[in-house]
Amino acid sequence: MKKTLAVLSLLLVSFTVAFASGGGEKAAAASQTVTMIFDAVQQNHDALYQEYAQKYTTAHPGVKVVVTYGPKTVTDLLGLYLQYFAAKRSDVDIYGIDVIWPGDIADHLVDLNAYGAKDVVGQYFSSMVQNDTVKGRLVAVPYLANAPVLYYRTDLLKKYGFTNPPGTWAELADMAAAIQKGERAAGNQDFWGFVYQGKAYEGLTCDALEWVASYGGGTVVDSSGKITINNPNAVAALKFAAGTVGTIAPAGVTGFDEEASRAVWQAGNAAFMRNWPYAYTLGNAADSTIKGKFDITTLPAGTSGQKAGALGGLALAVSKYSKSPQQAADVAFYFAGKDFQKAMLIKSSEPSPIVSLYQDPDVLKAIPFFSKMKDVLTNAVPRPSTATAPKYNEVSRLFFTAVHSTLTKEQDPQAALTGLESSLQDLLNK
Amino acid sequence: MKQLRDSLSHAARIEQRSAYLLVTPALLVVLVVAIYPLGSGLLKSFTDETFASDRAPAYVGLRNYSSLLGVAVRITKPLTDLATGAALTDSRTGAPKYPSPDDVLPRRPVRYSPLGEFSVLGTRVVVGARDPAFILAILNTLAFTLITISFEVTLGTLLALLLQRRFRGRGALRAIMLVPWAIPTVISSRMWAWMFASTRAGFFNVILQCAGIGNGQIPFLEIKGWQLPIMCMIDIWKTTPFMTLLVLAGLQLIPLELYEAAEVDGVTRTRRFWRITLPLLRQTLAVALVFRTLDALRVFDLFQIVLGESRYSMASYTYYQLIQNRAAGYSAASGVIIFLLIFGFAVLYTRILGFQAASHQE
Repeated sequence: MKKTLAVLSLLLVSFTVAFASGGGEKAAAASQTVTMIFDAVQQNHDALYQEYAQKYTTAHPGVKVVVTYGPKTVTDLLGLYLQYFAAKRSDVDIYGIDVIWPGDIADHLVDLNAYGAKDVVGQYFSSMVQNDTVKGRLVAVPYLANAPVLYYRTDLLKKYGFTNPPGTWAELADMAAAIQKGERAAGNQDFWGFVYQGKAYEGLTCDALEWVASYGGGTVVDSSGKITINNPNAVAALKFAAGTVGTIAPAGVTGFDEEASRAVWQAGNAAFMRNWPYAYTLGNAADSTIKGKFDITTLPAGTSGQKAGALGGLALAVSKYSKSPQQAADVAFYFAGKDFQKAMLIKSSEPSPIVSLYQDPDVLKAIPFFSKMKDVLTNAVPRPSTATAPKYNEVSRLFFTAVHSTLTKEQDPQAALTGLESSLQDLLNK
Repeated sequence: MKQLRDSLSHAARIEQRSAYLLVTPALLVVLVVAIYPLGSGLLKSFTDETFASDRAPAYVGLRNYSSLLGVAVRITKPLTDLATGAALTDSRTGAPKYPSPDDVLPRRPVRYSPLGEFSVLGTRVVVGARDPAFILAILNTLAFTLITISFEVTLGTLLALLLQRRFRGRGALRAIMLVPWAIPTVISSRMWAWMFASTRAGFFNVILQCAGIGNGQIPFLEIKGWQLPIMCMIDIWKTTPFMTLLVLAGLQLIPLELYEAAEVDGVTRTRRFWRITLPLLRQTLAVALVFRTLDALRVFDLFQIVLGESRYSMASYTYYQLIQNRAAGYSAASGVIIFLLIFGFAVLYTRILGFQAASHQE
């Protein structure tokens, strides 16, 4: 009897406490809150985000903007977002999504055209807007643009008598071989002509897409959903790439991701590197061995004469489970708008999707190499994520597995692409 | 006598009833936490549900299972010259040429991708699978399990025997030995992945180059033949201390009088090990084996961090299908297959190693 009394009173107390605190929370929320979530890398710019969140609240009293951050890797971030969507969470309004996700998660996002996107959409690169449009709905507004560039050592080019950076892959191969031979003879056994990302992951899809597209081999799957990968140009492109492994690129390039290739480049052991623009500022850091000795240009063209760089970046999407989509769309347009984008560009050198900023004098004064980025971004080739949605991840995996097997010489390019075509036919016609 | 027995069983029956009552809360917890998710996963595996989607899942029966496990085997004959009927041979090696696996395996209505081809007793066999990545994942995981278990049990037992003797610094050595086990797998996997880096930034490349092997550019983790041995090596490094501890605990239970009696009888060291130590270690080894087999079959973090998407274990493939492909039904089926495999091993162990209930030891 005593025990029962004790247990009952304990339960009574705990229930009272729970209800009391619950009621208190409801009374506090009077103003509106718009919450944004990004990947962990964006946390480097937290100070800037907070500054502009404050500016927005000053301009729109009663609206608070909260910026939160998720995991670092793209896979983990997608996993988190999918869990939020599965739970139909209304407490996160704006998601920072990777450019390959719009087709995949379009069902959970609002059509920004219904919230005034038409007024702002004209200022962005058209390929990015197209990438973010799924079945006629604009599910995200471009936020950060990214396209890879060719880094080259200006001092070495001069030393070996080359005036301009290579315009074609064939030129690059010749120049890289000559410089590598010379540097090896001079005693640097760790020197290689060209480094890039050859590991079996999404990054290889980007590199391989660039080779194939620049040789006129298409983009694996074209915008209408037709599988175009099995053609002689693509075979030629992969033959070229496989030929670089062990000759002008280290055998270990089949295990390189962005940071691994940058490690070789920044140590001064490579004449050329294909990488994203982030390596520019890092290469010019105070403790870098190559400070001031390099420059960037667009990636070389293949036999087709087209220069291609895979499109990367982020977009801002508004969740359809948000309680105030119009407000959230406004905040998204604000952060994707010129004021914030200019500040972000100058501070972080992360490319912006706004075309006019690349001719802005303030931007060019702060980051001189950005005059070349406009060209790079205009030539950017989006990966076929929207065309193959919702199966893009599997398409990408099949593609980079096939390319990787040609780089490691397990398969010859024609066999790999024939097998890839069959697998894609099976996958996409399922 | 019978009266006594009846009254005993009556008391026992009352005890049983209160035992059931006391166990019920724990059973409820297990039901909610274990059985419900398992059951829901099983049901999900019979649908084509998409993760985080509003689309109502449709019942597809065993289609997910046939997609995961579908395997086709074909026997091929050497290619012959249509005109002369003579066998075509490879101009370089002189071996007979066979048709390409893609031409031999079924393509419609579903494609069986080539998994491998080999010659057995003169006939050429081509194996294809509907989901070659999953079949390879199963093979990877099974091979990984078998290799790591054998090494870990053997090395663990050896080390435990060593550490059983008294010597200076034994306590400290026991503590240091635990470090690999204590470091979270996520961190040690990352550490090992860096050591196997494909340039001279990697520890092993530098060591091998100093020894004169290779030029410091060996891409260890990209060479298919090296991937599984490396994974096994990392796991053996990590788990042998755990096995050593388990076996050490088992060794402490063996009464020393047995060894003394054997020594008096003039039994050699080796025979003492095989006749006294090993049989009495059986229960401990059984526990250790079950632990490690189940852990090894479930291996996820090691494969995910070191090999990523270039080679899957069953668990990392399930994760890939769920998150990247959002195929909730498909990955649930994959999870059920893992469960059945583990269950099979558990039953096998129980039969072979003979776990004995307390009541039998009369």
